[in-house]
Amino acid sequence: MAEIAVGIDLGTSNTCVSLMRDGKVEVLDNAFAERTSASVVHFHEDGSVEVGNSAKAKVIHSPAETVSSAKRLIGRYYFSEEVKKAQAVYAYEIIEAPNHGVRIEIREEEFSLPEISAMVLREMKQIAEHHVGESVTKAVITVPAYFNDNQRQATKDAGRIAGLEVLRILNEPTAAALAYGFGMGMNQRVAVYDLGGGTFDVSVLEIGKDIFEVLATCGDTFLGGDDFDDRIIDLLADGFVAEHNVNPRNDPYAFERLKLAAETAKNQLSIDEEVHISIADVLTTEDGTVLGIEHTITRAEFAVLVHDLIQRTFKVCDEAMQQSDLTVRDLDGVILVGGPTRLPIIREAVEAYFQQPPRQDVDPDEVVSMGAAIHAASLVGEAKDAMLLDVTPLDLRIGVAGGLTEPVIERNTPVPIEQTRTFTTFQDHQESVQISVYQGDHRMAADNALLGEFEFSGFTKAPRSDVKIDVTFEIDPDGIVNVTATDQTTGAAASTQITLSSRLGETQMDQIIASDLAARVATPSTPDGEQHIQLSPASPCDSIAAAQETNPAEESALFGDGSVDFSEERPDDLEPESSVRATGGTENAEESYDIIMGGGGDEIDLDQIDDEELIQLTEETVDERESGNDGLFDTSGADLAGPEIELVKEAK
Amino acid sequence: MSTSTIDALEITALSKIMDELDYYQLLNIEPSASTSDIRRAFHNSSRTFHPDANLDLTGDLRKQCRQISKRVTEAYCVLRDTRRRLAYDDKRANGTSLRIQIAEARNAHVERRKAERCGATPQGRQFHGKAETDLKAGNLAGAIQNIQMALTFEAGNAGFKAMLEELRERKKAIS
Repeated sequence: MAEIAVGIDLGTSNTCVSLMRDGKVEVLDNAFAERTSASVVHFHEDGSVEVGNSAKAKVIHSPAETVSSAKRLIGRYYFSEEVKKAQAVYAYEIIEAPNHGVRIEIREEEFSLPEISAMVLREMKQIAEHHVGESVTKAVITVPAYFNDNQRQATKDAGRIAGLEVLRILNEPTAAALAYGFGMGMNQRVAVYDLGGGTFDVSVLEIGKDIFEVLATCGDTFLGGDDFDDRIIDLLADGFVAEHNVNPRNDPYAFERLKLAAETAKNQLSIDEEVHISIADVLTTEDGTVLGIEHTITRAEFAVLVHDLIQRTFKVCDEAMQQSDLTVRDLDGVILVGGPTRLPIIREAVEAYFQQPPRQDVDPDEVVSMGAAIHAASLVGEAKDAMLLDVTPLDLRIGVAGGLTEPVIERNTPVPIEQTRTFTTFQDHQESVQISVYQGDHRMAADNALLGEFEFSGFTKAPRSDVKIDVTFEIDPDGIVNVTATDQTTGAAASTQITLSSRLGETQMDQIIASDLAARVATPSTPDGEQHIQLSPASPCDSIAAAQETNPAEESALFGDGSVDFSEERPDDLEPESSVRATGGTENAEESYDIIMGGGGDEIDLDQIDDEELIQLTEETVDERESGNDGLFDTSGADLAGPEIELVKEAK
Repeated sequence: MSTSTIDALEITALSKIMDELDYYQLLNIEPSASTSDIRRAFHNSSRTFHPDANLDLTGDLRKQCRQISKRVTEAYCVLRDTRRRLAYDDKRANGTSLRIQIAEARNAHVERRKAERCGATPQGRQFHGKAETDLKAGNLAGAIQNIQMALTFEAGNAGFKAMLEELRERKKAIS
């Protein structure tokens, strides 16, 4: 029997799972007939975890226990800008872990970002298992094309934690193009304009009968639909401050209300020319006065608010067109991906830029997961004639003296690719060579993303410059970077240590997998037969409506005329714990989970997952490295910020 | 997409001689191939050697196939880019190496162009500089003399030749 492998679009805001069966791709809906689920994880007091649209509804009442937009943080170092920004915006606790990692602290428990994402993936795995009636252990997971190695590795780790063998980390725009062109026998050049919740990518592809070749991909990981919401939040908050002289940003509950109102208003502006936002109780002052917001925003006003954001996307498009050596006139089609591209203001701007209307026959919320499913099927031999030739989105660079870098593999180079550089020792009898590896387009090391610091040792001791170490940089079809080294004279593999990495160590991964944390999500069956998971009933396209509908009293909150009313909601409306469990709230809720395999603890074969060619990279903390430093790198008067290596300019 | 079309022996043989092939030979095209020929050859090779086209291969064969695939990508990456291809053709003509660092290939050509413009030898650069100064000062005759001097040190410098020709044209036009 054919192997089952699903495609998962793990989005900043929403996640979607699809499967290709008998040559047809279907988006798998959850127990509540929703085709996408919010990428939100809510932690209950009893330690159980809720994922999806119902979890999203919890953010109003318990923002500190509800993690959204984890994708913005995955694979980042604690010192990065994005982490600081998230700390200002999200009510949940973001803390620093050893080795500059990032953890989320909820109810005094710490979670890594891959663990949070694993909970969302676990939910998708269970949805798929419900549909196929058997265990699902293989998946293709998509990421923004512009994701760097750290982010890709962390996403892959999330898959492992969720009990999935990740067949491929696939770029979202590539997946979208695959879904668009698969089996059509077309010969087209297309641009994929992918504006997600937190990232923007544009890819230019040439689609042939059986080959999908990415010509160029460019992006901005700091630009997404959330930024459009932020503009409305700022408008509301500034108005509130001007009127009441109280800043609602300082109150997590008030801030969540503004966020939800802004998102709803934004979505409503796709339908109506004008939206009235009415929140009766944004916050209550110390003297007991309840302060609210009344604000009307028109499409034209919104257009002004977000004008610069839209222009930023076209700067990225300019770059992609240039890198692919094409002009917009060479394009046969433009595909829109991501919820925010439903906004008429974006559709119009895209049409003006590309001088053609975007394709109407592609669902921007589902097309990525469908493409992932097609690729998953082809990787288990289910689908043929769809070969993807993708590229690496960023320059791969190595640190050189003076805090500078130089490229080893330039962006938009097709993958898989491998380049070898030869390094030599700097001092007599030097025992190790250290190399910093970066991704990014900047000469200054500090302006790029640091992938890791590698230390190579175990080569022959000899006078300086006599030892030559070949360091091989490989980018695999996942876009993941592998670094290995060999001693040129002996041909023996040098031992490699990653001395700085944002990744979880193998030991940590083992512990996490052993603790089966992800199984807390939607515990298949508790003794009394109740479910810990509930996904609220909602129309597939309107997650906001879903968020509003968990409590019948809240159903009236979203008025048909486009105005938004949050007056029904108060923190003390918090539903009793029992009501968040699915006790058959909808008919298929019970059916849906009773065929899920028990235990939930799928065994993971690490050997199988690890790349066979990848040297087993051990990891140690920076502290350990420093204490173990033999001082060989101390050179007199050297103020070199970069690793002390000399690059031998010769091709291998 | 299946390995049935490719012989295991073929993979092993190619992986053995891969280092002795230049990029054109590897892609099985003529050195005069057009960009679209190069692209077509890359697609054909990918259909055979890309890891996704060989999912049922295991062990050494899989490794060999992967190595070939990466080398094929490298060849495509160099040959499809005009600047890289020029730098590679130089290198190949000199017989120094059958491969080139993709990141350096672009710079190599930029450096060559810079050398063409300003000179590759200290004397060439010196007289070229003098010629530029003369030109700014309106001394056309001086400029011609100096660029001729520069050419005695770098007879093959196309940039110098072009400059000399242009200066002569201008002088002709004036007189």
